[in-house]
Amino acid sequence: MKRNGLVLSVMVVGIALLLWAGWHNLRERRKAMQEARDSRVVLMPAKPGQTPDAETPDSEMTGPHMLGKVAPSFTLATLDGKKVSLSDYKGRPVLVNFWGTWCAPCKVEMPWFEEFRKQYAAQGFEILGLTDDADAGNEAIAKVVRKTGVTYPILLTDGKVQKAYGGLDYLPVSFYVDKNGLVVDETAGLGSKDEIEAHIKKTISSGSSTAAGGQ
Amino acid sequence: MLRAALSGAVVAFVGVAALTAQQVGNLDAPTPKPKSYVIYAAEPQEVTVGKRSTLELHFRVVDGFHVNSHTPKSELLIPTQLALQPAAGVKAEPVAYPAGTSYSFSFDPSEKLDVYTGAFTVKLPVVAEAGTHTVEGTLRYQACDHAACYPPKSLPIQVIFTAK
Repeated sequence: MKRNGLVLSVMVVGIALLLWAGWHNLRERRKAMQEARDSRVVLMPAKPGQTPDAETPDSEMTGPHMLGKVAPSFTLATLDGKKVSLSDYKGRPVLVNFWGTWCAPCKVEMPWFEEFRKQYAAQGFEILGLTDDADAGNEAIAKVVRKTGVTYPILLTDGKVQKAYGGLDYLPVSFYVDKNGLVVDETAGLGSKDEIEAHIKKTISSGSSTAAGGQ
Repeated sequence: MLRAALSGAVVAFVGVAALTAQQVGNLDAPTPKPKSYVIYAAEPQEVTVGKRSTLELHFRVVDGFHVNSHTPKSELLIPTQLALQPAAGVKAEPVAYPAGTSYSFSFDPSEKLDVYTGAFTVKLPVVAEAGTHTVEGTLRYQACDHAACYPPKSLPIQVIFTAK
Protein backbone atom coordinates (compact mmCIF):
# COMPACT_ATOMS: atom_id res chain seq x y z
CA MET A 1 0.00 0.00 0.00
CA LYS A 2 2.84 2.33 0.95
CA ARG A 3 4.64 1.32 -2.27
CA ASN A 4 1.51 2.01 -4.33
CA GLY A 5 1.22 5.43 -2.81
CA LEU A 6 4.82 6.17 -3.67
CA VAL A 7 4.33 5.07 -7.29
CA LEU A 8 1.16 7.18 -7.53
CA SER A 9 3.02 10.21 -6.21
CA VAL A 10 5.79 9.72 -8.75
CA MET A 11 3.19 9.52 -11.52
CA VAL A 12 1.41 12.66 -10.39
CA VAL A 13 4.71 14.51 -10.35
CA GLY A 14 5.53 13.08 -13.83
CA ILE A 15 2.21 14.22 -15.30
CA ALA A 16 2.61 17.63 -13.71
CA LEU A 17 6.07 17.88 -15.29
CA LEU A 18 4.67 16.89 -18.69
CA LEU A 19 1.94 19.51 -18.47
CA TRP A 20 4.45 22.15 -17.43
CA ALA A 21 6.81 21.17 -20.26
CA GLY A 22 3.98 21.40 -22.81
CA TRP A 23 2.88 24.79 -21.52
CA HIS A 24 6.45 26.07 -21.38
CA ASN A 25 7.09 24.85 -24.95
CA LEU A 26 3.94 26.58 -26.18
CA ARG A 27 4.87 29.83 -24.44
CA GLU A 28 8.37 29.79 -25.91
CA ARG A 29 7.00 29.19 -29.40
CA ARG A 30 4.50 32.01 -29.06
CA LYS A 31 7.31 34.29 -27.90
CA ALA A 32 9.47 33.25 -30.84
CA MET A 33 6.59 33.86 -33.27
CA GLN A 34 5.93 37.27 -31.76
CA GLU A 35 9.60 38.16 -32.16
CA ALA A 36 9.47 36.97 -35.77
CA ARG A 37 6.40 39.14 -36.39
CA ASP A 38 8.09 42.13 -34.76
CA SER A 39 11.19 41.72 -36.89
CA ARG A 40 9.00 41.50 -40.00
CA VAL A 41 7.51 44.86 -39.13
CA VAL A 42 10.98 46.30 -38.83
CA LEU A 43 11.62 45.25 -42.43
CA MET A 44 8.79 47.46 -43.70
CA PRO A 45 9.79 50.90 -45.00
CA ALA A 46 9.50 53.16 -41.97
CA LYS A 47 10.19 56.52 -43.58
CA PRO A 48 8.87 58.19 -46.70
CA GLY A 49 11.07 57.48 -49.66
CA GLN A 50 12.92 54.66 -47.95
CA THR A 51 12.98 51.66 -50.25
CA PRO A 52 13.34 47.99 -49.42
CA ASP A 53 16.32 46.12 -50.90
CA ALA A 54 14.23 43.68 -52.89
CA GLU A 55 10.73 42.40 -53.23
CA THR A 56 10.31 38.95 -51.79
CA PRO A 57 7.50 36.53 -52.63
CA ASP A 58 6.83 36.26 -48.90
CA SER A 59 5.69 39.85 -48.87
CA GLU A 60 2.69 38.90 -50.95
CA MET A 61 -0.73 39.34 -49.41
CA THR A 62 0.58 40.97 -46.27
CA GLY A 63 -1.20 44.26 -46.99
CA PRO A 64 -0.20 47.75 -46.03
CA HIS A 65 0.98 48.64 -42.51
CA MET A 66 0.71 52.40 -42.36
CA LEU A 67 -1.94 52.75 -39.69
CA GLY A 68 -1.11 55.51 -37.19
CA LYS A 69 1.93 56.63 -39.18
CA VAL A 70 2.46 59.95 -40.91
CA ALA A 71 1.37 59.60 -44.53
CA PRO A 72 4.52 59.65 -46.67
CA SER A 73 4.79 62.82 -48.69
CA PHE A 74 4.88 62.75 -52.48
CA THR A 75 4.83 65.02 -55.48
CA LEU A 76 3.45 63.45 -58.64
CA ALA A 77 2.30 64.57 -62.05
CA THR A 78 -1.28 64.58 -63.32
CA LEU A 79 -2.20 63.43 -66.82
CA ASP A 80 -1.73 67.07 -67.91
CA GLY A 81 1.73 67.22 -66.41
CA LYS A 82 0.73 69.40 -63.46
CA LYS A 83 2.61 68.65 -60.21
CA VAL A 84 0.50 67.80 -57.20
CA SER A 85 1.83 67.16 -53.69
CA LEU A 86 0.13 65.62 -50.70
CA SER A 87 1.31 68.68 -48.76
CA ASP A 88 -0.94 70.82 -51.00
CA TYR A 89 -3.81 69.39 -48.94
CA LYS A 90 -2.28 70.06 -45.55
CA GLY A 91 -4.96 70.41 -42.87
CA ARG A 92 -7.59 68.60 -44.95
CA PRO A 93 -8.83 65.01 -44.78
CA VAL A 94 -7.53 63.13 -47.84
CA LEU A 95 -8.14 59.70 -49.29
CA VAL A 96 -5.04 58.41 -51.08
CA ASN A 97 -6.27 55.64 -53.38
CA PHE A 98 -3.94 53.40 -55.40
CA TRP A 99 -5.64 51.89 -58.46
CA GLY A 100 -4.77 50.40 -61.86
CA THR A 101 -6.29 50.26 -65.32
CA TRP A 102 -6.30 46.44 -65.16
CA CYS A 103 -7.99 46.37 -61.77
CA ALA A 104 -11.73 45.71 -62.11
CA PRO A 105 -12.65 46.25 -58.41
CA CYS A 106 -10.84 49.61 -58.50
CA LYS A 107 -13.25 50.74 -61.19
CA VAL A 108 -16.19 49.64 -59.06
CA GLU A 109 -15.27 51.95 -56.17
CA MET A 110 -14.06 54.98 -58.14
CA PRO A 111 -17.58 56.30 -58.95
CA TRP A 112 -18.42 55.86 -55.22
CA PHE A 113 -15.38 57.95 -54.32
CA GLU A 114 -16.53 60.68 -56.70
CA GLU A 115 -19.96 60.67 -55.09
CA PHE A 116 -18.51 60.94 -51.55
CA ARG A 117 -16.09 63.64 -52.64
CA LYS A 118 -19.02 65.84 -53.60
CA GLN A 119 -20.99 64.86 -50.51
CA TYR A 120 -18.19 65.76 -48.10
CA ALA A 121 -16.63 68.67 -50.02
CA ALA A 122 -17.87 71.13 -47.38
CA GLN A 123 -15.68 69.37 -44.80
CA GLY A 124 -12.64 69.84 -47.05
CA PHE A 125 -12.50 66.19 -48.03
CA GLU A 126 -10.36 65.38 -51.08
CA ILE A 127 -9.36 62.27 -52.98
CA LEU A 128 -6.08 61.64 -54.80
CA GLY A 129 -6.16 58.71 -57.25
CA LEU A 130 -2.66 57.31 -57.72
CA THR A 131 -2.39 55.16 -60.85
CA ASP A 132 -0.23 52.17 -59.99
CA ASP A 133 0.32 51.21 -63.64
CA ALA A 134 1.44 54.58 -64.97
CA ASP A 135 3.12 52.68 -67.82
CA ALA A 136 -0.32 51.81 -69.22
CA GLY A 137 -0.15 55.19 -70.93
CA ASN A 138 -2.13 58.39 -70.56
CA GLU A 139 -4.73 57.33 -73.12
CA ALA A 140 -5.71 54.14 -71.26
CA ILE A 141 -5.74 55.96 -67.92
CA ALA A 142 -7.84 58.81 -69.33
CA LYS A 143 -10.29 56.26 -70.73
CA VAL A 144 -10.87 54.77 -67.25
CA VAL A 145 -11.20 58.25 -65.78
CA ARG A 146 -13.88 59.11 -68.34
CA LYS A 147 -15.69 55.80 -67.90
CA THR A 148 -15.78 56.02 -64.11
CA GLY A 149 -16.66 59.74 -64.21
CA VAL A 150 -14.11 60.80 -61.60
CA THR A 151 -13.03 64.44 -61.44
CA TYR A 152 -10.60 64.26 -58.52
CA PRO A 153 -6.84 64.51 -59.27
CA ILE A 154 -5.42 61.43 -60.96
CA LEU A 155 -1.68 61.16 -60.40
CA LEU A 156 0.94 59.05 -62.15
CA THR A 157 3.05 57.03 -59.73
CA ASP A 158 6.82 56.94 -59.94
CA GLY A 159 7.55 53.56 -58.35
CA LYS A 160 8.89 55.20 -55.19
CA VAL A 161 5.53 56.23 -53.77
CA GLN A 162 4.24 52.65 -53.76
CA LYS A 163 7.28 51.57 -51.73
CA ALA A 164 6.89 54.52 -49.39
CA TYR A 165 3.37 53.31 -48.65
CA GLY A 166 4.59 49.83 -47.67
CA GLY A 167 4.78 48.21 -51.11
CA LEU A 168 1.61 47.33 -52.92
CA ASP A 169 1.12 43.69 -53.81
CA TYR A 170 -2.42 44.13 -55.06
CA LEU A 171 -5.07 46.72 -55.81
CA PRO A 172 -7.09 48.61 -54.78
CA VAL A 173 -5.36 49.93 -51.67
CA SER A 174 -6.54 53.08 -49.88
CA PHE A 175 -5.08 55.23 -47.11
CA TYR A 176 -7.29 57.62 -45.21
CA VAL A 177 -5.20 60.59 -44.08
CA ASP A 178 -6.62 62.94 -41.46
CA LYS A 179 -6.08 66.69 -41.05
CA ASN A 180 -2.90 66.02 -39.06
CA GLY A 181 -1.43 63.98 -41.88
CA LEU A 182 -1.82 60.68 -40.05
CA VAL A 183 -3.10 57.49 -41.66
CA VAL A 184 -6.22 56.77 -39.60
CA ASP A 185 -7.50 53.93 -41.78
CA GLU A 186 -6.19 51.72 -44.55
CA THR A 187 -8.02 49.24 -46.71
CA ALA A 188 -6.82 46.59 -49.12
CA GLY A 189 -9.28 45.27 -51.66
CA LEU A 190 -12.78 46.35 -52.50
CA GLY A 191 -15.08 47.04 -49.57
CA SER A 192 -18.74 47.97 -49.52
CA LYS A 193 -19.90 51.51 -50.22
CA ASP A 194 -21.07 51.83 -46.61
CA GLU A 195 -17.65 50.79 -45.30
CA ILE A 196 -15.95 53.37 -47.49
CA GLU A 197 -18.28 56.11 -46.24
CA ALA A 198 -17.60 55.07 -42.63
CA HIS A 199 -13.83 55.40 -43.26
CA ILE A 200 -14.36 58.84 -44.80
CA LYS A 201 -16.47 60.04 -41.86
CA LYS A 202 -13.85 58.77 -39.42
CA THR A 203 -11.10 60.58 -41.36
CA ILE A 204 -13.04 63.85 -41.42
CA SER A 205 -13.73 63.72 -37.69
CA SER A 206 -10.16 62.75 -36.79
CA GLY A 207 -7.47 65.29 -35.95
CA SER A 208 -7.60 68.97 -35.14
CA SER A 209 -8.54 71.36 -37.94
CA THR A 210 -5.85 73.76 -36.79
CA ALA A 211 -3.04 71.21 -36.55
CA ALA A 212 -0.06 71.56 -38.85
CA GLY A 213 0.16 67.86 -39.73
CA GLY A 214 2.96 65.91 -41.32
CA GLN A 215 1.87 66.05 -44.94
CA MET B 1 -5.03 0.48 -7.76
CA LEU B 2 -1.59 0.61 -9.29
CA ARG B 3 -3.02 -0.63 -12.61
CA ALA B 4 -5.70 2.09 -12.52
CA ALA B 5 -3.10 4.70 -11.76
CA LEU B 6 -0.92 3.43 -14.61
CA SER B 7 -3.85 3.57 -17.05
CA GLY B 8 -4.66 7.08 -15.91
CA ALA B 9 -1.08 8.15 -16.40
CA VAL B 10 -0.96 6.71 -19.93
CA VAL B 11 -4.23 8.45 -20.87
CA ALA B 12 -2.97 11.72 -19.41
CA PHE B 13 0.35 11.39 -21.26
CA VAL B 14 -1.35 10.68 -24.59
CA GLY B 15 -3.69 13.60 -24.01
CA VAL B 16 -0.87 16.00 -23.21
CA ALA B 17 1.17 14.77 -26.18
CA ALA B 18 -1.79 15.15 -28.54
CA LEU B 19 -2.59 18.61 -27.20
CA THR B 20 1.00 19.74 -27.51
CA ALA B 21 1.26 18.34 -31.04
CA GLN B 22 -1.94 20.12 -32.04
CA GLN B 23 -0.79 23.42 -30.60
CA VAL B 24 2.61 23.12 -32.21
CA GLY B 25 0.98 22.17 -35.51
CA ASN B 26 -1.28 25.23 -35.39
CA LEU B 27 1.55 27.54 -34.51
CA ASP B 28 3.79 26.22 -37.25
CA ALA B 29 1.09 26.17 -39.94
CA PRO B 30 2.23 28.64 -42.60
CA THR B 31 -0.16 31.18 -44.01
CA PRO B 32 -0.96 30.16 -47.57
CA LYS B 33 0.86 32.55 -49.89
CA PRO B 34 0.53 31.52 -53.51
CA LYS B 35 3.46 32.67 -55.63
CA SER B 36 1.61 31.81 -58.80
CA TYR B 37 -2.14 31.96 -59.30
CA VAL B 38 -2.15 29.61 -62.29
CA ILE B 39 -0.55 26.16 -62.36
CA TYR B 40 0.44 24.33 -65.53
CA ALA B 41 0.19 20.54 -65.59
CA ALA B 42 2.88 19.39 -68.02
CA GLU B 43 1.88 16.02 -69.47
CA PRO B 44 3.89 14.25 -72.18
CA GLN B 45 1.66 13.72 -75.23
CA GLU B 46 1.86 11.72 -78.47
CA VAL B 47 0.82 12.72 -81.97
CA THR B 48 1.01 11.10 -85.39
CA VAL B 49 3.92 12.17 -87.59
CA GLY B 50 2.96 14.63 -90.34
CA LYS B 51 -0.71 14.64 -89.35
CA ARG B 52 -2.50 17.66 -87.89
CA SER B 53 -3.03 16.86 -84.22
CA THR B 54 -4.24 18.88 -81.27
CA LEU B 55 -2.21 19.12 -78.07
CA GLU B 56 -4.04 19.92 -74.88
CA LEU B 57 -2.44 22.30 -72.39
CA HIS B 58 -4.01 21.93 -68.98
CA PHE B 59 -3.97 24.86 -66.59
CA ARG B 60 -5.56 25.35 -63.20
CA VAL B 61 -6.37 28.60 -61.45
CA VAL B 62 -5.62 28.35 -57.72
CA ASP B 63 -8.78 28.07 -55.59
CA GLY B 64 -10.19 31.40 -54.49
CA PHE B 65 -8.82 33.27 -57.50
CA HIS B 66 -9.90 33.93 -61.08
CA VAL B 67 -8.09 35.23 -64.14
CA ASN B 68 -9.50 37.18 -67.07
CA SER B 69 -10.43 34.92 -69.98
CA HIS B 70 -8.80 35.39 -73.38
CA THR B 71 -11.70 37.68 -74.24
CA PRO B 72 -12.47 39.85 -71.20
CA LYS B 73 -15.43 42.21 -71.49
CA SER B 74 -13.26 45.32 -71.34
CA GLU B 75 -10.31 46.19 -73.56
CA LEU B 76 -8.60 47.65 -70.48
CA LEU B 77 -8.50 44.29 -68.73
CA ILE B 78 -5.53 42.04 -69.41
CA PRO B 79 -6.53 38.89 -71.30
CA THR B 80 -5.06 35.46 -70.64
CA GLN B 81 -2.65 34.95 -73.51
CA LEU B 82 -0.26 32.19 -74.48
CA ALA B 83 2.85 33.09 -76.48
CA LEU B 84 4.80 30.17 -77.97
CA GLN B 85 8.35 30.08 -79.31
CA PRO B 86 9.02 28.45 -82.69
CA ALA B 87 10.35 24.89 -82.38
CA ALA B 88 12.31 22.97 -85.01
CA GLY B 89 10.25 20.28 -86.74
CA VAL B 90 6.96 21.63 -85.40
CA LYS B 91 4.43 23.64 -87.37
CA ALA B 92 2.11 25.20 -84.81
CA GLU B 93 -1.20 26.85 -85.58
CA PRO B 94 -2.77 29.56 -83.41
CA VAL B 95 -3.98 28.24 -80.08
CA ALA B 96 -7.67 27.92 -79.23
CA TYR B 97 -8.79 29.31 -75.87
CA PRO B 98 -11.81 28.06 -73.94
CA ALA B 99 -14.81 30.29 -73.35
CA GLY B 100 -14.83 32.06 -70.02
CA THR B 101 -17.57 32.19 -67.42
CA SER B 102 -19.43 35.23 -66.21
CA TYR B 103 -18.26 36.76 -62.93
CA SER B 104 -19.09 39.90 -60.98
CA PHE B 105 -17.87 41.30 -57.66
CA SER B 106 -20.42 40.98 -54.90
CA PHE B 107 -20.39 44.74 -54.27
CA ASP B 108 -21.35 45.47 -57.86
CA PRO B 109 -23.31 42.63 -59.48
CA SER B 110 -24.09 44.80 -62.51
CA GLU B 111 -20.48 44.75 -63.76
CA LYS B 112 -19.96 41.44 -65.58
CA LEU B 113 -16.51 40.05 -66.22
CA ASP B 114 -15.45 37.05 -68.30
CA VAL B 115 -13.05 34.82 -66.38
CA TYR B 116 -11.44 31.42 -65.98
CA THR B 117 -11.70 29.66 -62.64
CA GLY B 118 -10.51 26.16 -61.70
CA ALA B 119 -9.25 24.05 -64.60
CA PHE B 120 -9.08 25.35 -68.15
CA THR B 121 -7.55 23.87 -71.29
CA VAL B 122 -5.84 25.66 -74.16
CA LYS B 123 -5.65 23.66 -77.40
CA LEU B 124 -2.63 23.78 -79.66
CA PRO B 125 -2.93 22.30 -83.18
CA VAL B 126 0.41 21.09 -84.55
CA VAL B 127 1.92 19.17 -87.44
CA ALA B 128 5.21 17.61 -86.33
CA GLU B 129 8.14 15.65 -87.73
CA ALA B 130 9.15 12.38 -86.06
CA GLY B 131 10.81 12.68 -82.68
CA THR B 132 10.37 14.30 -79.30
CA HIS B 133 9.70 18.02 -79.34
CA THR B 134 9.63 20.78 -76.77
CA VAL B 135 7.70 23.95 -77.44
CA GLU B 136 8.52 26.72 -75.01
CA GLY B 137 6.02 29.39 -74.17
CA THR B 138 4.68 31.88 -71.65
CA LEU B 139 1.18 32.27 -70.31
CA ARG B 140 0.44 35.87 -69.38
CA TYR B 141 -2.46 36.36 -67.05
CA GLN B 142 -3.84 38.70 -64.45
CA ALA B 143 -5.50 37.27 -61.36
CA CYS B 144 -8.00 38.62 -58.86
CA ASP B 145 -9.76 37.24 -55.81
CA HIS B 146 -13.18 38.28 -54.57
CA ALA B 147 -12.05 41.82 -53.72
CA ALA B 148 -8.56 42.61 -55.00
CA CYS B 149 -6.48 42.21 -58.14
CA TYR B 150 -2.85 41.20 -58.45
CA PRO B 151 -0.34 42.55 -60.97
CA PRO B 152 -0.05 40.68 -64.27
CA LYS B 153 2.17 37.60 -64.16
CA SER B 154 3.96 35.44 -66.72
CA LEU B 155 4.08 31.69 -66.32
CA PRO B 156 6.79 29.93 -68.35
CA ILE B 157 5.67 26.57 -69.77
CA GLN B 158 7.09 23.70 -71.78
CA VAL B 159 4.91 21.59 -74.05
CA ILE B 160 6.67 18.25 -74.48
CA PHE B 161 5.33 15.75 -77.01
CA THR B 162 6.46 12.91 -79.24
CA ALA B 163 5.51 12.43 -82.89
CA LYS B 164 5.49 8.77 -83.99
